[in-house]
Amino acid sequence: MTRQAVLSPGITGDRRSAPPTGPYPADSVKKDLAELERIAAHIGRALSFMEVCGTHTMSAFRCGLAGVLPDNIRLISGPGCPVCVTSQADIDQIIAAAHMPDVILCTYGDMLRVPGSRGSLESARMAGADVRVVYSAMHAVTLAQSTTRQVIFAAVGFETTAPATAAAVMAARRLNLNNFSVLTSHKRIIPAMRALLSSAPVDAPCVDGFLAPGHVSVIIGTAAYLPIVRDFHKSCVIGGFEPPQIISALTQLAQLAGENKAELLNHYPEAVRPEGNLAAQQLLNTVFEPAAARWRGLGVIDQSGLILRMEYADFDARRRHQLCTPEDHEPRGCICGRVISGAAAPGECPLFGSACTPVNPIGPCMVSSEGTCSAWFKYLPNHVHPNRGWSNQEVCT
Amino acid sequence: MCLAIPAKLIRCEGDDGVVDLHGMQLPVNLQLTPGVRPGQWLLIHAGFSIETIDRADAVKTFALVKDLQDASCAGNGVQP
Repeated sequence: MTRQAVLSPGITGDRRSAPPTGPYPADSVKKDLAELERIAAHIGRALSFMEVCGTHTMSAFRCGLAGVLPDNIRLISGPGCPVCVTSQADIDQIIAAAHMPDVILCTYGDMLRVPGSRGSLESARMAGADVRVVYSAMHAVTLAQSTTRQVIFAAVGFETTAPATAAAVMAARRLNLNNFSVLTSHKRIIPAMRALLSSAPVDAPCVDGFLAPGHVSVIIGTAAYLPIVRDFHKSCVIGGFEPPQIISALTQLAQLAGENKAELLNHYPEAVRPEGNLAAQQLLNTVFEPAAARWRGLGVIDQSGLILRMEYADFDARRRHQLCTPEDHEPRGCICGRVISGAAAPGECPLFGSACTPVNPIGPCMVSSEGTCSAWFKYLPNHVHPNRGWSNQEVCT
Repeated sequence: MCLAIPAKLIRCEGDDGVVDLHGMQLPVNLQLTPGVRPGQWLLIHAGFSIETIDRADAVKTFALVKDLQDASCAGNGVQP
């Protein structure tokens, strides 16, 4: 338990002063697990920690973490998968844009199979729409330079992904491109965490602390989590993605919860600085401004989205192409919205594993490579969670 | 996916760089990590470098990325 740089209020963490991380010998992992068992037994009540990062979700399930955690310790997947948290209305709008004549719609690969109300981008392409998968937003700009057709770059994502969109918009401005625009639903994680704690769905579980996302934190820095610690008295541990790092972070969270302390710790100091990536933040602030945004399962959250500033409004695809906003509704029977907020487990969904599978996904949590339903389906034997405490959630009242 | 992948910068000119990722040479935009030099390891996300990283940390992340990649392919019935 000596790997973290303590960053709680009043103390600044410097990644260069933090002890080096890893490699993690088996003895170290066993020691951390034993420590977690000891703390869990001592506390004697159920503790729920939430991760808000799709890569944490997949890494934890991939290594079978759920099977080795103490029965009273649960790691819940929160709204950390960017595809999953995107509202159905936004997905439908992107698909509708792809069907417009004389449009090339560029997007990252993770959006291709996400089901909308009527089809997906993949099915739109099969029907004749010009949908292209790009590796970088800058490729969409390059494409716009080589065609007279309108190029729309559609992307979702958190603060990790949004700077690339901002850079593309600035490049298009510099190049005087009048056939490039963006259709984005970028999200900010901190307002979502605040919303979960202050106005969570009535059946959402109590969250005793957060395993904070590693690569989002590379951009926003550790200090961004201080309001969660100060205002809600919830610990935040920024964690790396390897299983031993996750176990170590959970052990730390349990210890803090047992002591009724709330602290901010950086367990991923090799990549995350206290101030974050200032160049990326400056780019974001130049092109975007925070605004209310609709999340699947969480509704509209103030300041949780990023919209283009007025100076860059010419590059807003919604404005340029006068795209209407479709009605927002989830697929019939799908409970992805409750899964995202931690209010329900995938196994509680009547569609899970039968009507909804990775091959034939109905909700985004099953189609996304980092969705919670996808992780349950792939990694849990018989799709049943091994933690006996899982079905007896302690509910906030 | 918010996962960033480590790669080694092999050359750069202004904001444009080329990284080596498992023997593949990929273009990368460097404007979010000003001042980086060839030989440094970078975290790459969506075609942009977002942070520098030590080689040892890069190697650890490779293992995780390969795990997730294999799992993703297997889950979709695709050979990795």
